[in-house]
Amino acid sequence: MFPMNVVVCVKQIPDPAAPQSLEPGTHTLARSGKLIMDDSDAYGVEMALQLADAAGGGEVTLVSMAPGGETSGLRTALAMGAAKAILISDDALKGSDALGTAKVLAAAIKRAEPDLIIAATESSDGYTGTTPVQVAELLGLPSVTFAKSVTVDGQTVKVERQTESGFDEVTSPLPALVTVTAGVVEPRYPSFKGIMAAKSKPVDTLTVADLGLDASTVGAAGAGQEITDVAEAESRSSGEIVVDEGDGAARIVAFLETLKVI
Amino acid sequence: MFEWSEEQLAIRDAVRRFVDEEIRPKLDDLEHGDLPPYDVLRKLYATFGLDQLARDSFKRQLERKTSGAEPPARAGRGEGSNAAMALIPVIEMCKVTPGMVTALGVSTGLAAGTIMKRGTPAQMERWGLDLLTLDKIGSWAITEPNSGSDALGGMRTTAKRDGDAYILNGNKTYITNGPYADTVVLYAKLDDGSDTDIRHRQVLTFVLDRGLEGFEQSAPFRKMGQHSSPTGELFLTDVVVGRDRLLGETEKESGGGGRASAKDNFVSERAGTAAMALGVIEECLALSIAYAKDRVLWGKPIGEFQLIQLKLANMEVARLNVENLVFRHIEMSAAGRSLSLAEASAMKLYAAQAASAVAMDAVQLFGGNGYMAEYRVEQLARDAKVFQIYAGTDEIQVTHIAKDLLSR
Repeated sequence: MFPMNVVVCVKQIPDPAAPQSLEPGTHTLARSGKLIMDDSDAYGVEMALQLADAAGGGEVTLVSMAPGGETSGLRTALAMGAAKAILISDDALKGSDALGTAKVLAAAIKRAEPDLIIAATESSDGYTGTTPVQVAELLGLPSVTFAKSVTVDGQTVKVERQTESGFDEVTSPLPALVTVTAGVVEPRYPSFKGIMAAKSKPVDTLTVADLGLDASTVGAAGAGQEITDVAEAESRSSGEIVVDEGDGAARIVAFLETLKVI
Repeated sequence: MFEWSEEQLAIRDAVRRFVDEEIRPKLDDLEHGDLPPYDVLRKLYATFGLDQLARDSFKRQLERKTSGAEPPARAGRGEGSNAAMALIPVIEMCKVTPGMVTALGVSTGLAAGTIMKRGTPAQMERWGLDLLTLDKIGSWAITEPNSGSDALGGMRTTAKRDGDAYILNGNKTYITNGPYADTVVLYAKLDDGSDTDIRHRQVLTFVLDRGLEGFEQSAPFRKMGQHSSPTGELFLTDVVVGRDRLLGETEKESGGGGRASAKDNFVSERAGTAAMALGVIEECLALSIAYAKDRVLWGKPIGEFQLIQLKLANMEVARLNVENLVFRHIEMSAAGRSLSLAEASAMKLYAAQAASAVAMDAVQLFGGNGYMAEYRVEQLARDAKVFQIYAGTDEIQVTHIAKDLLSR
C-alpha cells in the first residue's frame, strides 16, 4: 500500500443552463457571475477519490484557475471528498489561451507534488482539449489521454484508453497525467455532511507572482492566439414540406435514399 | 434570513439532481403503478448520508434520555439537526412528488419522533433507530372511521387490561404507510372496566409490529392524490400486547400521557406541511411562467394577457409569503425557539390554502393541457388538496388559532 496524492484539475465555468454572453472587447466568454464545477471534471474528482481510497491513504487536491477568487465550483468537489484546493486567481490571467493556462496549472500542481494528475479530456466551455497534455509536457511527465478505466499498482498507472474501435491498454510510470472520459466512473453525490464540511476545507488562493511566473508569459499578454471576430452561426434552414399528391411515400423514400439511410 | 445560504443552495442542488435522476424516471410507477416509495427514500438517505446522521442523532437522544437530561425544545427531528437541512429536501421533493414526502415524514417524524420522545431507552433502541434510518417503515395511527378531527374524543379503539398485558380491539383508517409499515405507533382508549364515558377515558400509546396475531394491515386505498404515499386501514382483533409495547411502559400520565403525545407532533407536522406547500407553489409558478412565455394564442404569448398576468402575480405573492413563513420557522429553530401552536396552525392554514389555490390556478392557466397528466400541474393540484385536510383540517387550524388568541 502506497499513500496516493492525486491532483485533479477542476475548471469552474459559467452555468451552461444560464444564458451566456461574450466579453465585447476580447470575444471571450463572460465569467463575471457565479461559476460552477465543469460537469466533465466530476468524473476526475470521483476517480481520484476512489484511487486514494483504494491506496489506503493520501489525499486529493484540486487545482483551478478562475477569476474573482471564485470557489463555488471548488466547494462542490470539496463536498464530494477532496481534501483541499489551490486556486489561482489574478486579473493578469484574463485572456489566457490554453498554453497560458497550462503554464499556470503546471506551476501550481508542482507545489502539490502529486503521484498522479487527473483532468477531463476537455472542458465544457472552451473545448480545446489541449490544456492537460500541455501541463504534462511542462512538468516533464508522461500523459495518457481518454481513459475509460484507471488503476494504480504500486508506482504504475494502468489505463484503458478509449479508441474508436475499442480500447488500448496503456501502462505508465508514476507520476503521470491522465485525462478521463465521462465513462470512467459514476460521480458520487456530495453528502449533506460533506457539503457542510466543504466550507471549512482549505483553499489556497495564489497569484501569478506567488507561482513565480512572469506575468508577460501568461494571460492576454502571453497568449499566442487572439479572437479577432465572432459571428453568429448560420441558422438552420427550414425543412422541406412534402405535400402528398399521391406520390408522398415515393418522395419520402427518395429523400431518405439521398441521405443513404435506406 | 431572506435567502438560502451557499451551503443550503448546494444541498438544494444535490437533492435536485437526485430528484431528476432517481425519482422523475420512476414517477409513473410511483404515482400510477403502485410502486412503494420506500426503496427510493432509502436510496436518498444512503446517498446523502442521512442514515448516518440519523444514527448520530439517535445516539445523542438516547444518551440524553438515559441521563435524564432535558428534552430538546423542538420535538420530532432530534437535537442538533438543522431545520433548513431537513426542509430543503422536503421542498425539492414536493416539486415532483409530495406523496413521497408524506410517507417519509410520517415514518421518521411522527412514528419515530413519538417513540423517541415518549419511549423508554429500551423502546427507543428496539424501534426508534430502525425507523430513523428508514431500515424500517413506520405508521402513526390515530384516525378512525368515525373520528377524524375529533380523533381523541371520538376514538373507539380500546386497550383492555389483562393482567400485566392489554388486549387491543378496534380499527384505524387513513393511515399513511399503513399497508407496508413494519412498526405502528397506535393510540387507544384505556378500558379499565369503569363506567367512564369513553370520550373521556385515558389515551394510551402502543407500538405494534407487523405480523402480530390479530393485527391486519389493508391494501392501499385508491385516492385523489399523493399516490406515492400508500394509505390504508389497520384492524385490531384481540391483539395481545405486553407492557413493553406501552410507550413509556407506564399508564402514569407524566408529561400529559397519550393525549399530549398525539399533540406533541402538531407543531413540527404543521411547519413541515408549510414547507411541502412551498415546494408545490414554487414548481407550479415555475411551470406556469415557462408556459405563459411559450404558449402562443392570438399571435402572442399568453403571458402578455392581463388575466394570465394576474394569476402569475397571485402565485408570486403566495410564494413570497409562504417562503417567508418557512424562513421564519428556520430562523426560530436556529435560535432554539419553537413556534407556538397558534403560529404553526396559522402557517399551515395559510400555506395549505395558498398551495391549493396556486396549483388550481396553474391548471387553469394551462387550460386543456393543464387537465392532462403530461403537463404535471394536475398532479400537483390533486396532491396539494390534502394539505388542507391532513395534519389538521383548515377548520381545525382556525379553531386552534382562535382558541389561542381568545385565551390571551
